[in-house]
Amino acid sequence: MSAAFVSVEDLSIAYGGFQAVDRVSFGIDAGEQVTLLGPSGCGKTTTLRAVAGLERPSAGRILIDGKPAFDGAHGLDTPPEKRNLSMVFQSYAIWPHMTVFENVAFPFRVRGRPSVETRAAVERALALVDLARFAERPATMLSGGQQQRVALARAVAFGTKLVLLDEPLSNLDAQLRLQMRDELADLRKRLGFTALYVTHDQEEAFSLSDHIVVMRGGRIEQAGRPQEIYRNPQSRFVAEFLGMRNIIPCELAGTGEGARLPDGTVLRGRDVAPGTAIEDAAIAFRPGDVRLDDKPGEGQGGSGVVARSLFVGDVQHVFLRSGPVELCAHVRPRPGLDEGRTLFWRVTPEDCLILRK
Amino acid sequence: MSAPPIRLAGGFIRGAGQERLLALVLAAIVGVMVLVPLAAVVLGAVGDEDGFSLMALADVLASGRVIGNTLLVGLGTTVLATGLGGVLAVILVRTDTPWRGGLEQLLLLPLYITPLLTAVAWSWLGSPRGGLLNLLAQSVLGPVGSIVNLHSAGGVITVAALAYAPLPFLLVAGALRAMDPSLEESARIHGASIGAAFRRVTLPLALPALLGSALLVFVQSLGLFSVPAVLGMPAGFYVAATEIYRLLNSYPPRVTQAAGWGLLLLVVTAVLVALQAAILRRRSFVTITGKAFRPRLVHVGGWRPVLLGVVLLYLLAAVVLPVATLCWAALVNFITVDPKLMSFDLRHFSYVLFTYPKTLLATRNSLVLGLLTATVICTLGLAMAWVIVRSRGAAARFLDQVGMMPLAIPPIVLALGLLWSYVGLTWLPLYGTIGILLLAYVTHYLPFGLRALSSAIRQLHPELEDAARVAGAGLFGTLRRIVLPLTRPTLVATWTLLFILSLQEISSSILLYTAPSTVLSVAVFDLWEAGNVNALAALSVMQLFATFAALLVVARLRQKAVAA
Repeated sequence: MSAAFVSVEDLSIAYGGFQAVDRVSFGIDAGEQVTLLGPSGCGKTTTLRAVAGLERPSAGRILIDGKPAFDGAHGLDTPPEKRNLSMVFQSYAIWPHMTVFENVAFPFRVRGRPSVETRAAVERALALVDLARFAERPATMLSGGQQQRVALARAVAFGTKLVLLDEPLSNLDAQLRLQMRDELADLRKRLGFTALYVTHDQEEAFSLSDHIVVMRGGRIEQAGRPQEIYRNPQSRFVAEFLGMRNIIPCELAGTGEGARLPDGTVLRGRDVAPGTAIEDAAIAFRPGDVRLDDKPGEGQGGSGVVARSLFVGDVQHVFLRSGPVELCAHVRPRPGLDEGRTLFWRVTPEDCLILRK
Repeated sequence: MSAPPIRLAGGFIRGAGQERLLALVLAAIVGVMVLVPLAAVVLGAVGDEDGFSLMALADVLASGRVIGNTLLVGLGTTVLATGLGGVLAVILVRTDTPWRGGLEQLLLLPLYITPLLTAVAWSWLGSPRGGLLNLLAQSVLGPVGSIVNLHSAGGVITVAALAYAPLPFLLVAGALRAMDPSLEESARIHGASIGAAFRRVTLPLALPALLGSALLVFVQSLGLFSVPAVLGMPAGFYVAATEIYRLLNSYPPRVTQAAGWGLLLLVVTAVLVALQAAILRRRSFVTITGKAFRPRLVHVGGWRPVLLGVVLLYLLAAVVLPVATLCWAALVNFITVDPKLMSFDLRHFSYVLFTYPKTLLATRNSLVLGLLTATVICTLGLAMAWVIVRSRGAAARFLDQVGMMPLAIPPIVLALGLLWSYVGLTWLPLYGTIGILLLAYVTHYLPFGLRALSSAIRQLHPELEDAARVAGAGLFGTLRRIVLPLTRPTLVATWTLLFILSLQEISSSILLYTAPSTVLSVAVFDLWEAGNVNALAALSVMQLFATFAALLVVARLRQKAVAA
């Protein structure tokens, strides 16, 4: 393991009897972005806040830039203001009693920096987020997107090497979120800071990160590069969280023999962890990878009756039922997908994953 | 990986421990402030010079009549004041009665007129012999005897309820405003009539506020000194507070019995607080979120003049008549209902200002006490509120519980405890100075400050402070640069209220003052006991108008702040 810029080792955080974070370890290389991804309550925000020094862990170690910021074994807990990092909060946390300029200048002023240096840096940061002309405006007279930009400017103005981002886009509407996502990626490319990012949105995680850590119930479920995680989820939980809507329990006949579904259909797929013990076998594939035909044809698959058919715009969600098996296909809308019809579904072995847990 | 050596810089440990240190220091201060006098009352009641003895307590429990009177006044006042305040709140918040905005402002005035002055004015109006209403009735109707007698249990209860009704009004009105109107609307949609929706949804949701204000009024009226002293003592009607006063002013002072009464009052209020907690624990009221809604008004049609009449009648009895009587008595040469004999000038004002020896000293002491009380509570309260709202430790829970405890301690009992703790402490000469009064005021009014400031801090998103910490500000830097400016409006309002309240405090002052540390409320009461009614009226009128002027200035300031 190389010396990472940030390293979190066996971090545990407990509130009373509740274990919010349970022996979590990961590292962030300098200039890299790592994203903690998971549903609400999985401990991702708590982990991020512990790195910031806002949450007191019960055990473990956090090193930032080679220096220990928290060490449970030695009772060391550096207060947040001494960790030399910055953070974008979910609520933006723009101080309402200050102007835009004063908000961004705060890190300089509390540390007693000369005002010439402050002014230059703040103006540069505001220009980066395209808010230069709003500098003297009271912070309360800004739209949500503008407040988000002030929060970003405040986080990057002081030039800390590490920036923490706690669901920074979750309070924006869908269109603005896409735009800010691109601006965020752009900003990091230009400034080169190291980032720890928390989100529950897989698209945000995939498009912004160098590494993703998927968390569940306070533990790390899977970690890796975005493409790798997308292609090879290691468990039902990760598969489901990443949009593999069809996860069908099955019997594994043996290596290479394929998986037998409860309705008798046999599918072959990629085994993500060949050789490991089978806890709870299932076969998983994405609804978008399913092909629907009116008559049997080439390839593996089965047939089913359309139980529900929903037109949602670009695609049609078609739910098929075959005995105890239910599955969903996203296909291009066309006539002939009506409820009650019998259709034949096809999915390639390459798109099927055999999950062992 | 190459782990760098661990550096244990002292500053790091200190930084993380600051919060805990602050919490511990505050807990120590509040503990001494609240728990020491409480312990003193308990110990004082069960011991005398000869050691442990239950004689005093037995004496107290044997005086069934005073106990009965105290409970009667406590319960009567609570029921009447809570009912009155609740009805007024519903009328002004939930119906389309005209002039609601202005009337609501006026409804707070009784708080500033004080129970003492309301009682004095009503005593002049309604004493059985010489009461103005009775004299008027006789001059119009001939010799009919007395038509009203306020020197009675009923008089004490009625006047105390008039004076305290604004408290339940404030709390219930707040609860009604904090209620999401969609809760009631959905009851209507699902088949409830207006009345049924009110009874089944609104009333249960307002129950915590009703119970809370009932308890507040009960504790206040149980230990109430001024009203029973003015209206009860002349008729030989004694309650616990006036009994404590009598015992301490008899010769020799019977301090152990006084403490016994204090202990009894404490036990009764403690039982009621526990009862309230038990009633409220069974429900969770997540609907009251602290968010303000626009209450949906009920159109009462033909009832509008009736409801308006109810509010105006209350204002007449609680504000207009007392203030008018005081003004009249301050200006008239001597009290008479015969128009031919009445003549008006400013001689009583001139007497109070230039001849009466206590005015200057009492005014100075009261102003100093007001300034100090308000400032100390705002400082202490802000720090405590921050610890209570933001931290999870045992110290925070202790601060919350002990800091709110004075709400359940009648001020006269608190004063007893302070007397017990600090009289004769030669190394800490508090007694005989305004220091002991300051301690009493700060302790007694702390919950008011704490409650207001806690809710102000609760409304601050915690991330505003987190952001400051991450941006490089320390704990105290964050409090100064973020928390203080953002709570400033609440601080200003709280400071003003506390300043006014401490100018009026009498229940504890009456036991704690000495000649050099006399205060305005005590000077007024002295004039009452001396029978110098015109001078009393003149002094109170000046005090009232100073208070009203201060209130106007504050209201003007607040308007400006809103407009800016």
